[in-house]
Amino acid sequence: MSFDESYTTPDGRTIGGVLMEMRNITLRFGGVTAIKDISFDIRQGEIRAIIGPNGAGKTSMLNVINGFYHPQEGEIIFRGETRRRMRPYEAASQGISRTFQNVALFQGMSTLDNIMAGRTLKMHKNFFWQMLRYGPALQEEIEHRKVVEKIIDFLEIQSIRKKPVGSLPYGLQKRVELARALAAEPSLLLLDEPMAGMNVEEKEDMSRFILDVNDEFGTTIALIEHDMGVVMDLADRVVALDYGKKIADGTPQEVQSNQAVIDAYLGVAH
Amino acid sequence: MFYREAGQYKTSYKEDSAIFPILQDRIAIWFYLAVAFVIIPLFGSEFLINSVMIPFLVFALATIGLNILTGYTGQISLGHGAFMGVGAYSTYKLVTYFPDTNVVVLILLSGFFSAAVGMVFGLPSLKIKGFYLVVTTLAAQFFLEWAFIRIPWLYNYNDSGAIEVPQREVFNIIVTGPDASVLSRYFVVLSIVVVMTWIASNIIHGRIGRSWMMIRDMDIAAELIGVRPLFAKLSSFAVSSFYAGVAGALMVFLWLGAAEVESFDVNVSFQILFMVIIGGLGSLVGSFLGAAFIWILPIVIRAVPRIMGMDINASTVEQLNFMIVGALIVLFLIIEPHGLARMWAILKQKLRVWPFPY
Repeated sequence: MSFDESYTTPDGRTIGGVLMEMRNITLRFGGVTAIKDISFDIRQGEIRAIIGPNGAGKTSMLNVINGFYHPQEGEIIFRGETRRRMRPYEAASQGISRTFQNVALFQGMSTLDNIMAGRTLKMHKNFFWQMLRYGPALQEEIEHRKVVEKIIDFLEIQSIRKKPVGSLPYGLQKRVELARALAAEPSLLLLDEPMAGMNVEEKEDMSRFILDVNDEFGTTIALIEHDMGVVMDLADRVVALDYGKKIADGTPQEVQSNQAVIDAYLGVAH
Repeated sequence: MFYREAGQYKTSYKEDSAIFPILQDRIAIWFYLAVAFVIIPLFGSEFLINSVMIPFLVFALATIGLNILTGYTGQISLGHGAFMGVGAYSTYKLVTYFPDTNVVVLILLSGFFSAAVGMVFGLPSLKIKGFYLVVTTLAAQFFLEWAFIRIPWLYNYNDSGAIEVPQREVFNIIVTGPDASVLSRYFVVLSIVVVMTWIASNIIHGRIGRSWMMIRDMDIAAELIGVRPLFAKLSSFAVSSFYAGVAGALMVFLWLGAAEVESFDVNVSFQILFMVIIGGLGSLVGSFLGAAFIWILPIVIRAVPRIMGMDINASTVEQLNFMIVGALIVLFLIIEPHGLARMWAILKQKLRVWPFPY
């Protein structure tokens, strides 16, 4: 399999060339090295899982991808261009959006407003029209409302549209967060433990939504997950980290049978 | 029974996104406006208009200003008393330099000066939050108070060191100065407050208002979604100080008639902050309720012994007043920490299901 060629998965999806490539990324916090010389790539249209035990550097990796942390060494190549040091909102404007390990919704706002918030970067009408809430500003608001309603339909959260998100159960909050990330129409969607703390039914729902998003919008997804069953079922390729180092990279089956991964998860007899 | 949206179907997103989607709310708004524009001027006494309504509206406007910053953007400020001062002093200078220009225009223009000052003192908010920001805005308060005293140019080198409002006419009606009638001043204040409240509501319900609330609720997530903290925070400081500045200009030019630095001291900042907190953070209705609570309630309490024919001397009434208002503030905040606006919302929610709550 050549690197830049597209190929078709067994279930009929087309995986394109490399969307984002991480080259020799090293990230240090003072004396602590969170990520050490990691390289991997994310291909167009695939679901890429990042796994590893607690403290392996998975979330740090995600934070590097969306510009929240700046690695000391290494480079990130996104859409064929080496990315300069940037602020998170610049990453967002390039089409990278994400969800958080601990739900990071805007608690004081309704579900609808939270998802509308996800479209912030798509809205441009200036302050003057905003003041009047008339003409172009109102039109823009309504156009984006239509898009948001499609996402609401897609994720089946119609009934909680006007509810304040703080009052929603955890599983639904996670779903609203996914909706908010989707509202930005990302080309790369980062999901940080989308199924943490969910029961089996909720996990099944969430898995279905992730697959649907990938399938219908062709969104490239990078996700961190601890539930190995979910990872094996969803991911096209898996990268495994341990203590900030890459220990395995490949298809779920390859990674699953990799001795270093098994050791990392189960421990090694000394 | 009467307040309920059953049967009001929305057939477009435009209707559903309206600021008052429920018919009864729209009727209520027109009713309040009618009371303010018609009934109070027709039947209100001069005392009611001059000492109750005008200051209430002025403080409500200042409270909306601070609410934009504190309630919607989550940045606390103790400098808003001084920002009101910036509005007042800059209006004074503008009136001096442009004596023939419409004074209402100058009052609104003065907002831009306080917006600029507010933005400068809002710069620390990019790095610091919470209590630390309180300290820097307090520094703004003290610095500006110093400037109001020490820069005599600001009060035209008066011997008194105070702003003395000159007489100005708008469409041949005297609106400022000692000869302006109560009603003309009231209508100017009311119109400005109504229009600016409407604008505030529009901004808050749009993209910019949402970006403010995103910063308030979860600034990291907001940045990852694409809000620039610099722009969101500074625009909030600017709009907020603009409102404070216009409120300060109205306070001096259309209510007090003269003012010196004490009119904008830190107590005013505290008073506005109390109005915001008691009214409800992040609520425009709350801004009015909070201003009413802090300004009108003491007046009502003072009037009670007189109405009931009790012979209590004035200083006792004043002492009682402080005790009652203080106790009520504590009581209200214990019952509903989110302020009067939340009580109002709960009341409306109850009203929707009344009389069959199950």
